[in-house]
Amino acid sequence: MAPLKSLEQEYPILDSNFQSFCASHDIFSVEDLLLHDLYVLAAFAEQESSSERLKQGIAQVLSIIDGQHQPWLNGIELLEDAQRNKHVLSTGCEGIDLLLHGGLRVGQLTELVGPSSSGKTQVCLLAASNVAKKHIGSVVYLDTGNSFSPQRVTQFICQHSDPAIDQAKHRTLQKVMNNISCKSVFDIFTMFDVLHQLEFNLRSQMQGGDCKVQLLIVDSVSSMVTPILGGSGSQGHALMISAGYLLKKLAHEHNIAVLVTNHTVGGDGGISKPALGESWKSIPHVRLLLSCDHGGSICNVSILKHPSMAVGKAARFMIHN
Amino acid sequence: MEAKGWISGDESAKEMLGRVLSRARPFLLLPPLHRVPLRPRNVLEIVGPSPSAKTHLLIQAALTCVLPVDWNGVHYGGFDGFAIFIDLDCRFDIFRFSHLLKLRLASGSVSEIDREQNNNTIKRSSIAYDEELYTLCMRRFSYVRCYDSFEFLATLKTLHYRIQKEKAYGNCVHMLLIDSIGAFHWIDRASTCLPLRGSNRKSHSVQTVLETVVQEIRKLLLLHPMLAIATKATLFGNRAMNEAKCRNLRKPDTSYSQIGGITALQLPYREYMPSAWQTFVTHRILLRPSDDHLAVSDDQNHSVYFSEWLLPSLSFLDKFIVKEAGVFLVA
Repeated sequence: MAPLKSLEQEYPILDSNFQSFCASHDIFSVEDLLLHDLYVLAAFAEQESSSERLKQGIAQVLSIIDGQHQPWLNGIELLEDAQRNKHVLSTGCEGIDLLLHGGLRVGQLTELVGPSSSGKTQVCLLAASNVAKKHIGSVVYLDTGNSFSPQRVTQFICQHSDPAIDQAKHRTLQKVMNNISCKSVFDIFTMFDVLHQLEFNLRSQMQGGDCKVQLLIVDSVSSMVTPILGGSGSQGHALMISAGYLLKKLAHEHNIAVLVTNHTVGGDGGISKPALGESWKSIPHVRLLLSCDHGGSICNVSILKHPSMAVGKAARFMIHN
Repeated sequence: MEAKGWISGDESAKEMLGRVLSRARPFLLLPPLHRVPLRPRNVLEIVGPSPSAKTHLLIQAALTCVLPVDWNGVHYGGFDGFAIFIDLDCRFDIFRFSHLLKLRLASGSVSEIDREQNNNTIKRSSIAYDEELYTLCMRRFSYVRCYDSFEFLATLKTLHYRIQKEKAYGNCVHMLLIDSIGAFHWIDRASTCLPLRGSNRKSHSVQTVLETVVQEIRKLLLLHPMLAIATKATLFGNRAMNEAKCRNLRKPDTSYSQIGGITALQLPYREYMPSAWQTFVTHRILLRPSDDHLAVSDDQNHSVYFSEWLLPSLSFLDKFIVKEAGVFLVA
């Protein structure tokens, strides 16, 4: 956070006298002020010679602090924002859409949990192709395991279109494929880089245009976080939680639906449970458990967690070839 | 004589009770919080693993806070005040809140909704409610989200002025709700501050952040009497519970006090909050999912949750489920 010296230009009341008063109480930046009791500081300021100016400085700092947090909203404003911006994106898979009352919700982080080859990547590719085609929005796909397949996406897109005019189909296919941008990330620091760059681009972008990012897919977040978890230090957990909060912030502030995948590990009594542990459980809004029958193409999806639906509700779906 | 004045006293017990009870009514919240009366300046901590319906309890409390006592002849039994919700988890669903409020308004009292729900499912479009009252209640719900500890501290430091502004309009704040006080625990724990100048400079750590949080909330509660409720997720899993279960299986003849198979001295979760917060909390309730499921209707299978009061320590468990209209006790 900004040291008090750098604020002097913009707020001349925070002059060198104020800074030396704060320094005498070991306060050098706005962050230090947040950890201090401002009433006690004002009481100390009373005893100084220039107490009025110092107290004005403290009031100025308080108003700076007031701009440091997110805005206050009441229930009506929240509801209006949700109804206007936080619509639902269909995943292209009927079973999942029915289960989630429409699909992935913009502003929420949805997690797909499942053992390997349970169809998680297929669902991600299907959702990406569906959003790029039907919702006229762009998709950002962060791929950690080289599992992104343009051929499969082409298959999904060309599935329901009629085999009529070839050239027009080719042009729409190109346009839709242009809307999906795939990036390979193999460690969590690269992911932070990519997400911060995305946040910067979204903040500086003008409103409108049909290349607005609607869906962000991270396949899979567990393969990036698992190598850094464990051990006695808390750095791994802190990075995991920070990544989760960054994804949630992107989802809410920039109206994006975020979809991440996670694998399963063995738990107590041999029952498999989602990886990434207890602390990760509070990060996603919606957690879905996927499983596929052996050799069949019918998959099961059930709800592990949802803000407004009962745990355990399940559905079946099939992904066509 | 003066000494006699010391012994005769100022008022009788009856007068004192009459004076105290007329000013401060104990809060009786919806189940499963109904067993212990909660007053303004109490700090309740709802602790439990994820998921265990903690946020749902917060939403129920917020609804009770914003509803009026009576409106147009219908008794709602609310506290007729503002509720402040600080969302540190950033997972609040306004649609769910709005739906619950509409159901409460449509049916007047809570018991009616339960009876109606058992007969048929409530269609969202056909709920008849008072539009004006709905808007009034939604406006009384103040919400802010915080993405890190600094934003949380900044919110707390400027909350006093916000409440004062509302008071100037004649609205009083009755509840402060914090969703997931332990949300930034790992991030704060891992941030080490290299002391630059001055060795007495406060470093950013879990201790200092939570001490400041407790300080600010204590000041707020002193200036504005309200009830503070905070949820806390258990971050370390329930290894203690599993160990107790294993011990139960191996020694079937030993009898344990039946609080979920755990002896009364052992906490069923690992406490990670610093002592500043632990001593600040005046009441604590633990929520846990159980393995039972309650079949309400053919297609709906609700999971049953246990609630257990840890502070004050009551020795029985309540069971509740979460239905579409909210939290309901199961006999």
